[in-house]
Amino acid sequence: MTRFVLGRLAWMAAILLGVSFVAFMLMRAIPGDFAIAAAGSQSVAPEVLATIRRDLGLDQPLMAQYLHWLGSALTGDFGKSFVTRQPVLGELLGRLAVTFQLTLLAAVIAAVMGVASGLAAARLRGATDWLVRLWNGLMLAVPNYVVATLIVLLFGLYFPEITVLGYTPFLESPLGNLASLLLPAFALALAVSVTIAENTRAAVLEVANQDFVMVARAKGLTPAAILRDYLMRNALTPVITAAGLKIAALLGGSILVETIFAIPGMGQYLFDSINSRDYPVIQAIVLVAAGIVVLVNTAIDIAYARVDARVQM
Amino acid sequence: MTGPLLRVRDLTATVTTRREVIQAVRGISFDINADEAVGFVGESGCGKSVTAKALMRLAPEGASIGLGGSVAFWGQDLLGLGEDEMRDLRGRRIAMVFQDPMTSLNPVMSIGAQMGDMLRRHLGLSVKDARERSIELLDLVGIPDPARRIDDFPHQFSGGQRQRVLIAIAISCEPDLLIADEPTTALDVTVQAQILRLLLRLREERGMALMLITHDFGVVAGMVDRVNVMYRGEIVEAGPVDTVFAEPQHAYTRALLDAVPRLHETGAVR
Amino acid sequence: MQDNAPVATPRKGAGVTQGWLLLGLGLAMLALMLVLTIFAPLVAPYDPSATSPDSLAPASAAHWLGTDSIGRDVLSRLIVGGRTTLLITVSAVLIALVAGLILGLAAGYLGGRTDEIIMRLLDVVFAFPVLLLAIAVVAALGPTVPNLILTIAIVYTPAMARVVRAPVLSVKQWDHVEAARSVGMSEIRLVLRHILPIVVSPILVATSLTLSQTIFTVTALSFLGLGPPPPDPNWGGMLSEARQFMELAPLTVVGPALAIVFATLTFIIIANGLREVLDVGSVR
Repeated sequence: MTRFVLGRLAWMAAILLGVSFVAFMLMRAIPGDFAIAAAGSQSVAPEVLATIRRDLGLDQPLMAQYLHWLGSALTGDFGKSFVTRQPVLGELLGRLAVTFQLTLLAAVIAAVMGVASGLAAARLRGATDWLVRLWNGLMLAVPNYVVATLIVLLFGLYFPEITVLGYTPFLESPLGNLASLLLPAFALALAVSVTIAENTRAAVLEVANQDFVMVARAKGLTPAAILRDYLMRNALTPVITAAGLKIAALLGGSILVETIFAIPGMGQYLFDSINSRDYPVIQAIVLVAAGIVVLVNTAIDIAYARVDARVQM
Repeated sequence: MTGPLLRVRDLTATVTTRREVIQAVRGISFDINADEAVGFVGESGCGKSVTAKALMRLAPEGASIGLGGSVAFWGQDLLGLGEDEMRDLRGRRIAMVFQDPMTSLNPVMSIGAQMGDMLRRHLGLSVKDARERSIELLDLVGIPDPARRIDDFPHQFSGGQRQRVLIAIAISCEPDLLIADEPTTALDVTVQAQILRLLLRLREERGMALMLITHDFGVVAGMVDRVNVMYRGEIVEAGPVDTVFAEPQHAYTRALLDAVPRLHETGAVR
Repeated sequence: MQDNAPVATPRKGAGVTQGWLLLGLGLAMLALMLVLTIFAPLVAPYDPSATSPDSLAPASAAHWLGTDSIGRDVLSRLIVGGRTTLLITVSAVLIALVAGLILGLAAGYLGGRTDEIIMRLLDVVFAFPVLLLAIAVVAALGPTVPNLILTIAIVYTPAMARVVRAPVLSVKQWDHVEAARSVGMSEIRLVLRHILPIVVSPILVATSLTLSQTIFTVTALSFLGLGPPPPDPNWGGMLSEARQFMELAPLTVVGPALAIVFATLTFIIIANGLREVLDVGSVR
């Protein structure tokens, strides 16, 4: 077990290294002169450009630049924004907190909707099963930004008095915070809930075929007890694992949903930075987001292996 | 009380799955008296397992089961009972031990929890009382050091031990009838004899009726009083076990008997 | 253990029939899309870039889906915009498919070190959220059609390689492969004649699913302003542009939204149909 964990952690470190290299190289691959991009204008005096080059270390060999950048990034120094000239870290952390709230809420909504509908489909079968599967099939085809746009449209058309855009900080009003995140979280959660529903359905159907469920029925236990202790406890492990792996999808989706709902999270930050060609910010966001995904996936791998070891026949 | 513990008349069972409709049991009649051990013998697919499940009104998962005829338990018609009443009866009055102990226990619940949920459900015991009772039961079925093992999970037990646990679960509410569906098929030969001896001992100590289902005539030989031979959903031969052994009337019974070369070794379970 | 039947009446085989129905439906939808996009200039009632003073018009006989904020015909823009969207999607997936085939076959068949190196490198790309990586690459390279195709191909190559590799690994051990090898068949013929066909079913399903995801990624990129440059219409861009005035002209949003959903749904239906018909287990 310790061997396995250490192996996973080493592998995670290697992946993160690779990820950081890709993130670094991408921004060096921009067509044109990086220094000009940093200066924010084509018409800059050559001396100024030279200073910028020296400040950013652009005169160093590429590998040295990478190592320097990586070293700084590890200590939380992602450089300064080309636009605001402020360190990227402070802004990034604030944005990250907002995105974290949004993804967390979306994950909860997706889990509740997905597990409930998947369970209903697997236990009730028949028409319910058919409806859930049809819904899942359709919803799989509706991208989250289309859902988000249509929600905004519907509210604009039929409930113009309700504000759906914008964000209320938690400290300002906890309830307002929740209210401002509810619709975007729903839009973000919909596609993920479909995956969770399909997984739950498959897992419950598989567990229901196990002999121990028949034994539980022969024991005269109530359907509720069988559902709770025999079906769900066994079915949920793979479901949670699969759901955890959807963190990447939620993070990716938040870029679009935040932009549409005007939520000042990391996604919107990225969107703005792309439009203003603020490369250090783009670089930092790519690195941090990929890092989070790698971390979460490793954590799930390890947690799953632990549960598996305890449960293994 | 008068009459047999279980009186089954013209029982039919039709199992409907998503793929097919199976007439698994086609009009069988038999009695089981209190204190009596009755064997059901037949090859796999003859309808004996469905018969057992039909008595408890359990449909295989993902299938529905249509029952006809009558099943009287202490004179009470089981086929007419509501599902709630039937559930009160399952495990409490009629209990069942299944074929494969490796897959019959919930892997994510401790043994104690899997014994306790049934004791609390049927006997209304407290968590603490259920635990004490479970430890006694584990001791009874021959699990060493039961007070410590009760918190273990199924994967920490061998196949034979798991079947002992499942037997402990089945007898925990002191049922009138214990149905054992191929209880030794999935076990090693040496363990088979131990489990059969355990069933025999428990039956004698507790005076419950036993319905022993098997494909192996060798298993029923020393265990039961009477035997029913099933073939294609029907009982083709019935009688005291010695008579059926000595003078099999039906060609199928003779074929089954011929298929048991080790009859004399395993027959001597007693 | 379930008792088998003495007398069993089979019920109608639901799975495969349903699969053919789904596949037929999906292919019909695909054919409709292809005809519309290939003959787009002939089908479209107006020039998609032609403006008119009649802006944000509701649906009418002249403009079935109304007009946008500068008076362009929404239906015409949808039809022509489908061209760009589908062109990027299909070319990107084809490139990813070829790259995935080469890498996956090499990794699975050669095994050992080669396998290790290829899969580890792909894992790094796989670690990025798809959309994020696509955004980063396009933002760096600039949003032109060739760049978009290349980016999306890169993003989906690891997944394709994985889909190819898994069956190759298991197929490799099979007897007839051993037999063919012992007869002295060349390695390349072995791969082409014996391994490739068995790998094809899961790849067909995965390709179809990837196509649906790619529609999502392509339109999402254009939605974020990283799509093909204007004035050529594309679905994601249309949806994004229309948001500004959507309460005045809901159809300008609903049109592209439906087009995106229709295209995604088409490939999902084909994938599910293929899965039933070819009897492939669930492919993620």
